[in-house]
Amino acid sequence: MREVAVKVNGAIRRDSMKDNELLLDFLRDKLEVRSVKAACWRGECGLCTVLLNGRLVKSCLVLAVEADGGDVKTVEGISENGELAPIQKAFIEHGASQCGFCTPAWVLASHELLKRNPDPTDEEIEVAVAGLLCRCGTYAQTKEAIHSLARPGQRRQLEKLVKSVG
Amino acid sequence: MSFGSPYTTLPDFEYHRASSVDDVIRLLKEFGDEAEVMAGGVGLMAFMKERLLSPGHLIDIKDVKELRQIAFSAGDGLIIGSAVTIEEVAASQDVKARYQALHEAATKTADPMIRARATLVGNLCEAIPWVDSPPVLMALDATVEIAGSGGRRTVPVGSFIKGPVEVDLASDEFVTKIQVPDRGQASRSAFEKFTGGSEFALASVAVSVGVADGKRKARVIFGSINSTPVRCVEAEQVLQEAELGQSSIRKAADVASEKVECVSDVLASADYRKHLVRVITTKALGRLAQA
Repeated sequence: MREVAVKVNGAIRRDSMKDNELLLDFLRDKLEVRSVKAACWRGECGLCTVLLNGRLVKSCLVLAVEADGGDVKTVEGISENGELAPIQKAFIEHGASQCGFCTPAWVLASHELLKRNPDPTDEEIEVAVAGLLCRCGTYAQTKEAIHSLARPGQRRQLEKLVKSVG
Repeated sequence: MSFGSPYTTLPDFEYHRASSVDDVIRLLKEFGDEAEVMAGGVGLMAFMKERLLSPGHLIDIKDVKELRQIAFSAGDGLIIGSAVTIEEVAASQDVKARYQALHEAATKTADPMIRARATLVGNLCEAIPWVDSPPVLMALDATVEIAGSGGRRTVPVGSFIKGPVEVDLASDEFVTKIQVPDRGQASRSAFEKFTGGSEFALASVAVSVGVADGKRKARVIFGSINSTPVRCVEAEQVLQEAELGQSSIRKAADVASEKVECVSDVLASADYRKHLVRVITTKALGRLAQA
């Protein structure tokens, strides 16, 4: 067993773990962060997605020891002052969640996408979420939710201008 | 809840985080057969969950600075260290400008989260029949640098892959980097794969054309159609004898489809793969002709 300290959603969590423990199981079973879903355990569905040191990772493909001294953020960490984050409200408004099982991963990935790219195209959204599956098939609604938060960039203004002229 | 079963858990091992190449060699010397080298761990963990591998020791090379290098220079060509992620390869402007086949394969590998963890060298070392990097690196005449207790040695990618899931590595050796020669401005390459919606390619091809010693030089290498990458010398000859154009492309694609040996498996029949060989070869060469 090895003693580790991982920052999870801003709070340092200390625990012991075996070297062969997955970050996924460490978060769910030891730290009881239940928004991180376990489904395929082989990096295909993406439902165990978390942020590790600022990067999205599938936590079933990361050893818990790799997160020692690191910073993990899950969907619980994106809301502020007990208020839902804008992307969470947008998911509700646009029905981008049906059974809800994959929703934490999608919310987190969409939140990150909008931080890097405030006005993504459909194609950019598709590339960004390529590693996530939703068996209810709410892909179109997710796109709508993301678009609803887009800060109109120059591209969109240009498109409008072209349309108005054409 | 991991149910304590295979597929969801990893076998027991001791984790080591190496800080230098010498550190890796020292650990490999100590644990040898019992150890596996890990960078992103994406492929390795899949094998371990299936209990196809149960190493007693994992040596993580992510922190080794020398192995994190990706750089191009006119003399050395492209150097990709074994801890360089596929995302870093896809983002490299040098790769995009000079090694198009590698850029295309890297950007089409799995998904963004996998690309951010998985390494190109890890993909190569898996040597699974349907991974993309072996045919691409072979079409670009890449070599692999290997380090071990006995020093360093360099082998071409084509001979590094000895069989399905089998590479030319002794138990005390590991890959430090891939080197892809500078092919000059005149050379071009392309990569095409057909997945048919499956997770894995049913057939892939990497093609390159250029000039060496005043003569036309071509490489046509297929992946996913047999247990190891398949080079089609006959198609290369067609491309070396004639200017790249509609008729030489058609001839090269026909020759490739006729000559290469394809396997039948659960994903596709050999006949279907031969059809795909013609289609993807035509597409890849067609893009080269337009470039």
